[in-house]
Amino acid sequence: MTAENTLGRNIPESGRAASRALGIKRFKWTVLTPFLLLMAFILVPALLGQGFFSLFQFSIFSMGDDTGWRSYLNASEWIGLELFIEVFRDERFGAAIIRSLLFATGSTLGCFIFGFGLALLMYRPFRGQGLYYIFFILPMLTVPIVIAYTGEMILYQNGPLNDILSRLSGMRVEAQFLYKKEIALTTIMFLEIWNWTPFSFIIMMAGLAALPKEPQEAASILGANKWRIFWEIQLPLLRPVIMLALILRFLEAMAEFPKTWGLLQGGPGSATETVPIYIFITTWQYFDISYGAALSYVVLVMMVAIVLTGIYFLQREKKNLDAMYFSKPQESE
Amino acid sequence: MAMTLSQKRQTFSVFRYAILTVWLCIVAFPMFWMVGTSFKPDREWFSWPPVYITENATLRNYAIVWANINEYTKADGAHIDPKTGELSQYTQSLQRPWTALRNSTIIAGLATTLAVIFGSVLAYGVSRHQILSESRMFQLLMLRMVPPIVLIAPISLWYRQIGLLDTITGLVILYFLTSLPYAVWMSKSFIDEVPREMEQAAEILGASRWRTIWEVVLPLVRSGLVATFLFILILTWSEYLLALLLSKAEVLTLPVELSKYQGSTEGRVYGRQAALSVGITIPLVFVGLIIRKHLARGFSFGMVRR
Repeated sequence: MTAENTLGRNIPESGRAASRALGIKRFKWTVLTPFLLLMAFILVPALLGQGFFSLFQFSIFSMGDDTGWRSYLNASEWIGLELFIEVFRDERFGAAIIRSLLFATGSTLGCFIFGFGLALLMYRPFRGQGLYYIFFILPMLTVPIVIAYTGEMILYQNGPLNDILSRLSGMRVEAQFLYKKEIALTTIMFLEIWNWTPFSFIIMMAGLAALPKEPQEAASILGANKWRIFWEIQLPLLRPVIMLALILRFLEAMAEFPKTWGLLQGGPGSATETVPIYIFITTWQYFDISYGAALSYVVLVMMVAIVLTGIYFLQREKKNLDAMYFSKPQESE
Repeated sequence: MAMTLSQKRQTFSVFRYAILTVWLCIVAFPMFWMVGTSFKPDREWFSWPPVYITENATLRNYAIVWANINEYTKADGAHIDPKTGELSQYTQSLQRPWTALRNSTIIAGLATTLAVIFGSVLAYGVSRHQILSESRMFQLLMLRMVPPIVLIAPISLWYRQIGLLDTITGLVILYFLTSLPYAVWMSKSFIDEVPREMEQAAEILGASRWRTIWEVVLPLVRSGLVATFLFILILTWSEYLLALLLSKAEVLTLPVELSKYQGSTEGRVYGRQAALSVGITIPLVFVGLIIRKHLARGFSFGMVRR
């Protein structure tokens, strides 16, 4: 803050700095207080309520018409940690976690491979670049629930996809993309990939466009071929952007709900019952609010851990990047 | 046989157009199918082989879905309640696309506006005075990344207690909170790029901090804030889970309205679904194309350096 010194020469340095710091502090809390109050107003009751329902077996059916505070207490019975023990023994929950992880990993990698591939083909200017770009971001701008229903129109047994496959292969294809247990989850995964490849695509396009040219030119003068430049110069420089594309997509895919629910409601059987779907079914179809609460708590802790890990990696990348960026003499920017 | 450099370039160019065109088809086909189906008469929805471009294009789907023209007849199937001879409850509940459109616009618009205003002020504080550390800024992402499904049940019960269930306010609060991380990060990326001289000048002239923010800093990043607004609008407009669980009848939004067509006992109504889908999608495509240059910023959290 040396810039200000010339302005306030007659004010004692320490006093000026102190009053400035006070002003910033006041500003900080003026901004943050309403936000923190709003958070507390929503999240604290929610977490407390969740805790209550997971420790007391609550039955919505024995509650009656009255929905005041008392009736919740009357319809509940202390059971301690029993529900949590049940959660850890619940094989259906275990299967849901595995499904969610498979779904998130698969769709993240799919989005990344397609998105990065397209970005590599497209980041240098060529005729039609702008037009392709516009088309390629369209899926991201489509509402997920719309994708679910349009997906069904295309994928159902007498739909156009089977027709196209039939015409290409010369025999009648009658694949049940949605109603066959073995492939239903994969189908949803491909819808997710269709939906979110643009996300990886635009991030990788921006990342590739922002790469400094000098190292590549230097390497090429020294006789390195395209592959070596890609692997040893471009890819390492792209690491932060790649991490970003992977981590954000994985986290969002873990929470995916509209397509999975809108299309199959967890079916056929339980083939597409991911973690969000399982919680949804438990709470809103079985109305087992207490078990849903215990499940939610476990998932909450799990997801917070996963998100914090993701954030940790992102933050580390950002720090490295800042260090690199600020140590360079700032000529161009 | 060795290729010359220009031959290599040409091969690559052909290869590139081939791949991009294949992907173009993959991207465009569902869009084409959605729009196409919305113009198909009922009998062509399920025909085999499928009808790609209908020769009997009709606006009937749009009329029924959007103009609330009641063309349901007995021939259309079980849309008429057999006991009363009236339109079934189910069909009646569907005929509110304009209400849903209004709700969606108000909720997404309000939540997004609040998020951008609050987010940009916070972003100013972070950019200029580091009122939140980098770690706190990243922790803010938790608001978006922890899946809402884990807290939605107690929130819904709590909302019922305080009368926010099935209200616009209730949804706006949650959309505001979940879109705040993107609002702060994206508007910060724009504010970071504005030189500080103008603010310092305003400060010397004696403007208060708030006046500096409102009258100097934010106007300078106006186009960036518009981009932020539209970016978040895309996210709030398409949100489904919260809208589904926190609105029962009064404030249903467009995605929820659309999903009501699906679980019907009256069979699939692809044409109507498509007609509604087109209406939901058009505004977003429009918005997205306006801000296509800025989309990367919304997600990049300062990782892409120009």
